[in-house]
Amino acid sequence: MNKRILGAFLTVALGAGTIAGIGSYVASAKNDSRVLEATLAGTLQTPEGNLPHYTLDMSVYPDSMFGGHGKDGGPHPDYVSYGPVTNFTVPAHSAITITVHQYDSGETITNPFFAKAHGTMDGTMTVNGQRVTQIAPDTVGHTFTLHGLANGKDQLFVSVPLQYVPEEDMPEEGYSSSPSVTTFTFITGGEGEYIWNCEFPCGDGSYARFGAAMSTMGYMSGHFNVVKA
Amino acid sequence: MSDLQTKKPQWWKSKDVQVTAGLWVVFSALIAVIGGEVNARPMGEPASETMANTIHIMRMFTWVSAPVAGLVAAIAAKALMQKMHFGDNPPPEADHQISDSPKATALWLVVSALLCLFALIFGMVVLQKDNNTLLDVHAADINVTGQQWAWNFDYADSGNFQSADLYLPVNQPVHFHVTSLDVVHSFWIVQMGIKVDANPGYITETAVTPTKIGVYDLRCAELCGLLHAYMQKKVHVVSQQDYNNWVTSHGGTI
Amino acid sequence: MTTVMNHKNPTASHRPIMERLNVVTALALGVAGAVISYYLAQKFLPENTEGSVMKTRHDQVVLIGMIGWFIGFMTGIGALVGPFRWLMGKDLSHDENMYLAGKNAGISRYFRYTTDHKVVGIQYLVITMVIFGVGGILAMLIRTNLGHAEGGWLHPQAYNAVVGIHGIIMIVGTIIMVTGPFGNFIMPIMIGARDMAFPRLNALSFWLIVAALAPILSSFFLGGITTGWSAYNPLASQSPAGMDGYIMFICIFAISTMVAGANITTTVVRMRAKGMTWTRTPIFIYGTVASVALALPAFPVFFLSQIMSGMDRALGTTFYDTRGGGSGWLYENLFWLMGHPEVYVILIPAVAALMEMAPVFTRRPLFSFKIAVMGIAGICGLSILVWAHHMYMTGWAPLLNAPFMLTTELISIPTGMLFLVLVGTVWRGRLWMTVPTASIFALLLNFMIGGITGIYLSDVPADAALHGSMFVTAHFHYTLMGAGLTGAIAALIFWFPKMTGRMIDKQLSWISFWLVQIGFNVAFMGMFMVGLAGQPRRVEAYAELFIRGNQITTGAAFVIMTGMLVLLWAVIYSWRHGQKAPMNPWQSKTLEWTVPNPVPLENFETLPIVTSDPYGYGKAQS
Repeated sequence: MNKRILGAFLTVALGAGTIAGIGSYVASAKNDSRVLEATLAGTLQTPEGNLPHYTLDMSVYPDSMFGGHGKDGGPHPDYVSYGPVTNFTVPAHSAITITVHQYDSGETITNPFFAKAHGTMDGTMTVNGQRVTQIAPDTVGHTFTLHGLANGKDQLFVSVPLQYVPEEDMPEEGYSSSPSVTTFTFITGGEGEYIWNCEFPCGDGSYARFGAAMSTMGYMSGHFNVVKA
Repeated sequence: MSDLQTKKPQWWKSKDVQVTAGLWVVFSALIAVIGGEVNARPMGEPASETMANTIHIMRMFTWVSAPVAGLVAAIAAKALMQKMHFGDNPPPEADHQISDSPKATALWLVVSALLCLFALIFGMVVLQKDNNTLLDVHAADINVTGQQWAWNFDYADSGNFQSADLYLPVNQPVHFHVTSLDVVHSFWIVQMGIKVDANPGYITETAVTPTKIGVYDLRCAELCGLLHAYMQKKVHVVSQQDYNNWVTSHGGTI
Repeated sequence: MTTVMNHKNPTASHRPIMERLNVVTALALGVAGAVISYYLAQKFLPENTEGSVMKTRHDQVVLIGMIGWFIGFMTGIGALVGPFRWLMGKDLSHDENMYLAGKNAGISRYFRYTTDHKVVGIQYLVITMVIFGVGGILAMLIRTNLGHAEGGWLHPQAYNAVVGIHGIIMIVGTIIMVTGPFGNFIMPIMIGARDMAFPRLNALSFWLIVAALAPILSSFFLGGITTGWSAYNPLASQSPAGMDGYIMFICIFAISTMVAGANITTTVVRMRAKGMTWTRTPIFIYGTVASVALALPAFPVFFLSQIMSGMDRALGTTFYDTRGGGSGWLYENLFWLMGHPEVYVILIPAVAALMEMAPVFTRRPLFSFKIAVMGIAGICGLSILVWAHHMYMTGWAPLLNAPFMLTTELISIPTGMLFLVLVGTVWRGRLWMTVPTASIFALLLNFMIGGITGIYLSDVPADAALHGSMFVTAHFHYTLMGAGLTGAIAALIFWFPKMTGRMIDKQLSWISFWLVQIGFNVAFMGMFMVGLAGQPRRVEAYAELFIRGNQITTGAAFVIMTGMLVLLWAVIYSWRHGQKAPMNPWQSKTLEWTVPNPVPLENFETLPIVTSDPYGYGKAQS
């Protein structure tokens, strides 16, 4: 094989290799592959019959020092973060109950639509022990909003507000001893990949403030996979 | 007498012109038919008259451009139908010396201007039809709010109840008032062929009459940040009865 | 013959500062400037005011750091030497100018502030290849992500940054790909001049691009950008600090373009050889001038739009923020005022280059030179009246949709004239089949598809279905890449012998041509399909029904990649080992082929006198 042809092959191989290398680096960077799977908790009577019941526990912290991003809080220690991780897996055609401990403060939400519960099993959620359909828009800390592609897949849209910890109860250091607790249940359809994010902008940017932490996956947004049971 | 001067042969009788003309007919037909199909198929069945008009106009434009494209293809093909010279040196120069042809140029310009005019008029007529749906006083009003990265709807004519789902009654005109709470999004119902940007601080309008019962796609069509790809929703077009049931079950009024 | 000035003592180790400046000192001073200004900014800038909506301090620091890089780099490369000496009243001497022109300097002259237009042309060629390399890698990342069923290989943030930077890098690359290498190297020789009107500005325009590359590449490490290449506000104001890299990149590049525009225009208007009237000026010259003349009004607007974006980010102004009395529509208008003429800035030189090659490879006169000029002029004139067709769907001014539809559809008429010229030239021509010849036919195909899909998009009702979908992406790739890049590659192969003294390897260039053209058409046809079916653009994940189309496009993209890499090798190999080229390998009649290889420093022994247009093929028989 003469030098010309060999050189051509080598250039193609080198080019492809460079792309593969850079690609792998970019694909792995910031991609948090840690996933929390829902735990089986028997069955639940639902309007769609007796379905397997799974539970998920998560929390919302006012910074990233809770350990989920490493000892020193990772690259953005001051970012609000959900934890222990931000990727979740739940089975299809099941009832999922999620409990969220919310440790951050809050204020009046920009879009009161998200101060209501949507897509939950009976349209309600339990906030600090009380069964309600919404909370006062000026007491919202964050939201948990689950949604996805308009796809051949089943549409899933679940959104609940997560009540704030009042300013008086926010300690100087560490996390509040009385976080708000929100529990809600919803029913999954078929398999699919969905996304969840907080719909209460509080980051950097223009008045809408969806920049910074809000636009960095692994803090207030993540993957939500519905898989075969 | 004795006219020894040979008359110049009429240009349309020369062989290469005839071959090119034949190719032109063939290519134009192929482009019109195949091009028309290739455009229309992926767009699927229209779910509104607006979309049906759009599919129709694209097919029309394809047919109208086909003769132009066909001519270019025919001349190019004819030029390639010669014994190819590949060497390091050029072949002998062409016999043809014509460096201008006012007639051919004038014809080309007139035809392209006419085609342009046709496209324009056709487009304006359809645009006017679409604009008229905006003026329909019987249209139901729905306020659409886009925010990063979800849509929510306020059914203004049904008691202002809010939902993250979009349900529409079939064959009823609906008027969308669209805004955004943060960055620019775009409200696009794919199969109905309507789209308008959602801008912060402004309300923009679009209107449509869904004509088919079914489930369609609402996709955000303007990059709006991290989860733009997921800012999508299903649109349900249902019978009037089903729509009324859905509204009342969500706390709205008919 | 020595070129060192102040040569009182031949063995003196003291060389003038001017002689010490090169790309190494530029990099060193640039980094120093960046570090020092960054440090000073960090130390002395006030904290963000409590309760302010935007945290502006970080952007201030980043921007100041980048400005420090820019000043350091441009000082280090020697851009300030000329102005400084002029201010001192001791303008550069003839010897110093000869030094700057790279007389007897060997390869080192490519790595410093050299004013010889031939050196600048080669520098532009290399930087264009680097830019396309980076843009190409990013393109392959995009396609690999979209080739995964439903996407999702790259993180959404990373994906958005890759898409945005791919876009702006490729736009800049396609803007300079013909006017940079060939507008600089070939154009002055083609008009019978010894150099350009402003040789120092020529060097400046090149080194500004090099300086601009650091900010844009650094944006990857500053969090990337959240927007596409259009950098729409208000989304851009939310973007991490990478956006400041984009802003700096554009500001510096805009200056480079304006400088080059002034240079090229003045050169062509004032320095054509005796006897080269406007009717005897080659069409490529018209294309180059038209392109930069369009850029001259367009790029300052882009520059301003980015300054305001930077001010919104770093100073808390609200130009684009409705809550502060501004408007996102202001940004969109400013951007597209540039954005539309700019695509013709990209396209016209490539088409003009192919029109220049067409008579050479068909051995007959260019069909209707006058129509070619009118077509170019018509496109330029109309292109500044169509910008809001990018804004049909914004809701900004629905009443203006119809007038803009009119102006946009009118552009098809002068565009059609360019087609007429090309098909008229191949008609009854005696084809000499080379890659440039084949490129003419490839352009006819690709530009036809690009043009017709543009007609669909120009129609407001159809745009309601197509705007913001992959259909648009496919359309502009067909025009800018299918037509533009094809013309640029043909220009490279055509003028390579004059620029390097060697012929590009035939076999490799043919292989590259077929791989790129076939790969390109399959890839972007597939993209039209998914766009028509409803896939939005700039999405890293998509619905099931688009899987097949995306896989086809991705597969074909790998074919394009292979073709471009083969071309890269062909260029590298031929530059060193290619067949040595005769003075006029294509037996073309334009002036650049009358000078020997390598082209002497001052191009011509005696300046030529022109007596006819350069398209007298076939007429020789009459």
